[in-house]
Amino acid sequence: MGISRDSRHKRRKTGGRMPIHQKKRAFEKARQPAMTKIGHKRVHIVRCRGGNHKYRALRLDVGNFVWTSENLASKSRVLWVVYNATNNELVRTNTLTKNTIVEIDATPFKALYSKKYGIDLGKVKKEETEQKKEQSEKAKKVWEEKKKKWEELGKNLFIDPLVKEEFKVGRLLACISSRPGQSGRADGYVLEGPELEFYKKKIEKKSKQ
Amino acid sequence: MADVQTERAFQKQEIVSLRTKKFLTKKTSTGVRYWKNVGLGFKTPKSASEGAYIDKKCPFTGNVSIRGRILRGMVVSTKMKNTVVIRRNYLHYIPKYSRFEKRHTNISAHCSPAFDTIKEGDIVTIGQCRPLSKTVRFNVLKVQPNQIFGAARKQFVLF
Repeated sequence: MGISRDSRHKRRKTGGRMPIHQKKRAFEKARQPAMTKIGHKRVHIVRCRGGNHKYRALRLDVGNFVWTSENLASKSRVLWVVYNATNNELVRTNTLTKNTIVEIDATPFKALYSKKYGIDLGKVKKEETEQKKEQSEKAKKVWEEKKKKWEELGKNLFIDPLVKEEFKVGRLLACISSRPGQSGRADGYVLEGPELEFYKKKIEKKSKQ
Repeated sequence: MADVQTERAFQKQEIVSLRTKKFLTKKTSTGVRYWKNVGLGFKTPKSASEGAYIDKKCPFTGNVSIRGRILRGMVVSTKMKNTVVIRRNYLHYIPKYSRFEKRHTNISAHCSPAFDTIKEGDIVTIGQCRPLSKTVRFNVLKVQPNQIFGAARKQFVLF
């Protein structure tokens, strides 16, 4: 490969050169970056130091995303990369790395939410009172225990308004928290609250330019 | 809070979760903050527990532990971003002449935003931590303001 992670090629703190008295060693070697793209899953297994394995994802299309405030997690399709703090090039080429902001499919979360609370998110025309009617209609078909559970949970209901809007479009903004080139997965969390506001601003700013 | 977000990525403390229902419904400007006691008798400054800065290399609000050596020195330069250069003076004995000579060592130490009033000439206590960058292995724990006359590099103060 030729890439190495030694410190012998760097200068000292004082600015002086380091004498190179030995060749590159195998324990200092580095590999090419994964540059994981979006597409049908393609993962290569790399044999690493000590006989351990790394799963270098070259193409990924799904990831396990968690909606933290609701404590719901689901496998969801990654649609495209929206923002990367490191490099705009990575956004243009749709490259997945840790801390990349992506848009994911919202349908699995819609399903989980309705299972938990009995409320359908993302219905634009219907108002809240109508949704409650729907909920009570659904509840008639469902057994008593579940109805009670939905009533209890319904008391503490709260969704971030920005996230609620996202459900109407059918796509959520999420952040990748795993390292696709190391673990072979694109797992992450749904953006909420101050983080969501921050990244929305950044994306709008970029789209204006 | 807007002053804190100066970078292209969202600055946050990894330990604190800003996505809990409790935090989202509250919507207070104060927010949740993680800070810790570094141990060894060092007091965490109020600016660390009450401030809003995000610094993952801060010993009080970040992900570094202080272990190993604790040293004292004089601050010589504060030009770097979040790090200071500390000068430690010592005397080296020459047996042939039964006399001493002056020697010094410069150490780069990470300086948390909790100590934003640090300036050249201050006496500083630094603690060893894991490597934070190519040359930084220490973190500032305590600052004792000090007024010096002349350049900080020319002072010879033994601790």
